[in-house]
Amino acid sequence: MSEVVIRSVQAIRAKGLEKVVPTSEGQLAILAGIDLEINAGESVAIVGASGSGKTTLLGILAGLDLPTGGSVALAGQELTTLDEEARARIRAEQVGFVFQSFQLLGSLTALENVMLPGELRGDRGAEQDARGYLEKVGLGARTGHYPRQLSGGEQQRVAIARAFASRPNVLFADEPTGNLDTATGQRIIDLLFALNAETRTTLILVTHDDRVAARCQRVIEIEAGRLRV
Amino acid sequence: MSPRLILRLAWRDWRSGELGLLLVALVVAITSVTAVALLVDRLQRALLSESADFLAADRYIGGSQPIPEAFRVAATARGIDHVDTLSFPSMVFADGERSQLVSIKAVGEGYPLRGRLIAADEPFAPGRPADGVPAEGEVWLDARLFPALGVALGDEIEVGVARFRIGRVLVSEPDRGGSMFDLGPRLLMRVEDVARTEVVQPGSRIAYRLLLRGPDATLEALRAELDPEPTWRWRGIRESSPSIGAALDRAERFLLLGGLLGVLLAGVAVALSAHRYASRHYDHVAILKTLGATPGSILRGFLMLLSLVGAVSVVLGLLAGTGAHLAMVAVLSTIVPVELPMPSLRPFLLGAVTGFICAVAFAVPPLLHLYRISPMRVIRRDLGAAPASQVLSYAAAAAGSLGLLVWYTGSLALTLWTLAGSFVVLGVFGLLALLLLRGGRLAGMQAGSGWRLALAGLQRRRRENVAQILIFGLAIMLLLILVLLRTALLDQWRGQLPADAPNHFVMNVVPEQVEPLSALLAAETTWRGEIFPMIRGRIVAANGIDARDWERDRAVSAEDDDGPRMRSERNLTWAATMPAANEIVRGAWWAPDDTRALVSLEADYAANLALDVGDRLRFDIAGQEVEAEIANIRRLDWESMQPNFFIIFSPGVLEDYPATYLTSFHLAPERKRFLNELLSAFPTVTVIEVDALIRQIQSIVARVTQAIELVLGLVLAAGCLVLVASIQASRDGRLQEHALLRTLGGSRRLIAGALAAEFAILGLFAGIVAVVGAELSAAVLTRQVFSLGVALHPWLWLWGPLAGALLVLVVGLAGTRRLVDTPPMLILRGL
Repeated sequence: MSEVVIRSVQAIRAKGLEKVVPTSEGQLAILAGIDLEINAGESVAIVGASGSGKTTLLGILAGLDLPTGGSVALAGQELTTLDEEARARIRAEQVGFVFQSFQLLGSLTALENVMLPGELRGDRGAEQDARGYLEKVGLGARTGHYPRQLSGGEQQRVAIARAFASRPNVLFADEPTGNLDTATGQRIIDLLFALNAETRTTLILVTHDDRVAARCQRVIEIEAGRLRV
Repeated sequence: MSPRLILRLAWRDWRSGELGLLLVALVVAITSVTAVALLVDRLQRALLSESADFLAADRYIGGSQPIPEAFRVAATARGIDHVDTLSFPSMVFADGERSQLVSIKAVGEGYPLRGRLIAADEPFAPGRPADGVPAEGEVWLDARLFPALGVALGDEIEVGVARFRIGRVLVSEPDRGGSMFDLGPRLLMRVEDVARTEVVQPGSRIAYRLLLRGPDATLEALRAELDPEPTWRWRGIRESSPSIGAALDRAERFLLLGGLLGVLLAGVAVALSAHRYASRHYDHVAILKTLGATPGSILRGFLMLLSLVGAVSVVLGLLAGTGAHLAMVAVLSTIVPVELPMPSLRPFLLGAVTGFICAVAFAVPPLLHLYRISPMRVIRRDLGAAPASQVLSYAAAAAGSLGLLVWYTGSLALTLWTLAGSFVVLGVFGLLALLLLRGGRLAGMQAGSGWRLALAGLQRRRRENVAQILIFGLAIMLLLILVLLRTALLDQWRGQLPADAPNHFVMNVVPEQVEPLSALLAAETTWRGEIFPMIRGRIVAANGIDARDWERDRAVSAEDDDGPRMRSERNLTWAATMPAANEIVRGAWWAPDDTRALVSLEADYAANLALDVGDRLRFDIAGQEVEAEIANIRRLDWESMQPNFFIIFSPGVLEDYPATYLTSFHLAPERKRFLNELLSAFPTVTVIEVDALIRQIQSIVARVTQAIELVLGLVLAAGCLVLVASIQASRDGRLQEHALLRTLGGSRRLIAGALAAEFAILGLFAGIVAVVGAELSAAVLTRQVFSLGVALHPWLWLWGPLAGALLVLVVGLAGTRRLVDTPPMLILRGL
């Protein structure tokens, strides 16, 4: 019983995270001794200068990459002991993503892109759900358009629809406004937070925009691979 | 991923054209292999059945013992057509007291099972196909027997104790070619009449044959059931007529080599397009992985996709291959009448399995890269595939090619030589290509003229371009090898039988006739002036060991048509100088002043009897024993149509023995009647006509030549496909760069010029690489596989690089033209 409570309360727990990569000038530590706990339903901004390691941290917390030291648990599951196969299954069940460069599949229409998570789960109602999410992001009329026929803001809205179509417990967003102008970025952030509030998703957002960070419940600053307390 | 999702992804890939090139490459691979295999299969069958005419059957069982009735019963039971023939020498007598040694062939009703019996109603007249065989009580005679015996059609002659009416003039029977020197003039009669003559007694030298006709598989089953060896021998065309067998073997090897190169080229095209497909899906897969697709399901998904593409390609490829084959046959039949037998299932199986192996060996490795793509790639674009998998992909491609080629050709040697040639060329010429590209560096990096832009671009993408030069080079090289081999083969065949090659032999010339006969031949025919003495004799001992024991203990193959080989009577000759078309393998030809008793042996003959230089042979010649030491071993060209001897003595050993002489001459078909004059002047000599045999060989060579040129055309098509696939594979990088240049203000003309120059330079370099590789490989292949002479080809060094430049230029521009016209924004956004 207590374990279920912990799961529901703690979305992410990282202890002593390290990431060291070999370079031509020897070992380079990108992350060092990161301890972090994020509760379910919390919204957290990770901020820091370029090259501070914030994107690497996001990748490790989301189970896209493995740390070279320490441990990280997502929804109560220790990621470092799992293989890529098992981590992918956890991503399918728990995680949604929004990326700076949108990462839509160019050969698929907006609708087909949003349907992908449902199709990967094998949902029969994937198309119905996808139409609903596209309505929510205001693109109900453009379901048949390909990414290259959409503006940057529209592409990011498709990406957000796709992220929520994953029905995630944790949503990771990597500089979601980084490729957009200020006004469009503002509308995207509004949309992201509105959907987040509606679905009570845990939101972990990498940004170097202070105004975006300010809208999160908690801001974590990272500098040269370490958390600034 | 569920099958439904995979189908949807496949459909979307297809709609966006992503799968198209892979599908086309696989379809073309299967199409070309199927079409080549069908052609080879049907031509081989046609050639074999045409050459079966030389046996008058598909197979025969032969020997010096009567054929057991059980053999006929077994053949009948299997539905195999069969007919008996008996051959033996005998004297025939005409009423005018004239007699002549003839070679009698007695045949049953239904003879010949293959080919036609040609007969005429007047001596030395051109014949027509005969409807049947001689009736019982009737014989057909060779034209030259009429003047020799002083008889005419309708007269009677005696064979043994029986009398026969002369029914027709025998012009030729299909299986006469065999061992021409044992033939006297031919007398054809019915096998049912043989007993009546009483000439066949126990101990008579008779060659019994049971001719067989039926499907290959049934014949082989019969062979397994009867197991006639060693008392009787089982023979097909390859064993019984070495000259035709050799021509067939070479043609078959060439056709297979053509098919083999087609497979290699198609494999390269498949690998290139699969690689492009995979690299365009790196992001795709990374995104799917962030969405929770597991590596296992992605691998399964892409393998299922590949299986689907493979299955569709096999169906399309087999259909297209059959269509292409039918089109080729249709084209061929407008030039010459072609009758081809139905194909076996093998070509279709070959096509399908080739498609499957191409997909697995060439397309799976690039797709395996996708398995390892890190989902982190969605955040960090620079993460590519793990480097170890590249080793895997080369290893798989090499193993796939090897397996495919060995299976396809059934010849490890041919495969290994081709592959070794290709790999050496890849290694050495990768370096050469790099140096060639380096040479372009000095031309400058500034965008301004198309040429400079092209050189700069080539230099910038050096690694890709080296790879591309090698791929172009390999394709062009394989094509050049085929062209060179074709030329060498055809030259060799044409050179083998010059127009004035001897087509008649004269035997049994007595010493007093040598001078007048030489004068007559010199005046009336194309005669080379060579006349050889001939003495019958046999080996009785080697190194003091009785020939019987020597043969039993050491000989490799002890028997042939004439019975025991070592002890059988042979034609011996002597010569002061080595006859033309002979070549010493070991030892040396004797000096003019050498007075020892020396002997020279033919290489295969010596090898079969385990004899070598220095061994001493004792001969029985006309009842006297002569001993001689083996001075040398010769190789001779059996296909030269010159008189050839297994055994030649040095001068001074045989001169005192009674000899007859042998010579050969060429007679044009329209001068055939000269034979009448010759035989009237020298009634005792024997003339053997081999012009029909030569014409048959020439018609086979012509047929094979057509087949070779058709296959060459097909492989050329496969080579062009590789060029297209390779250009497609490198299109993205090249176009992105040029789109960028256009946004920076480069004119359309400049970009098109730069592309053209780039392709021309790539083609030129590839041509240079290809010429060097082709010369080396062709030299090795002609020597090792086709046993032909090696020659360099200066014309190739000029035309190879020029043709390469032109070919790559045309194919390259055709493949990129549309994109030069597309607005740059679309290219930049679409990639």
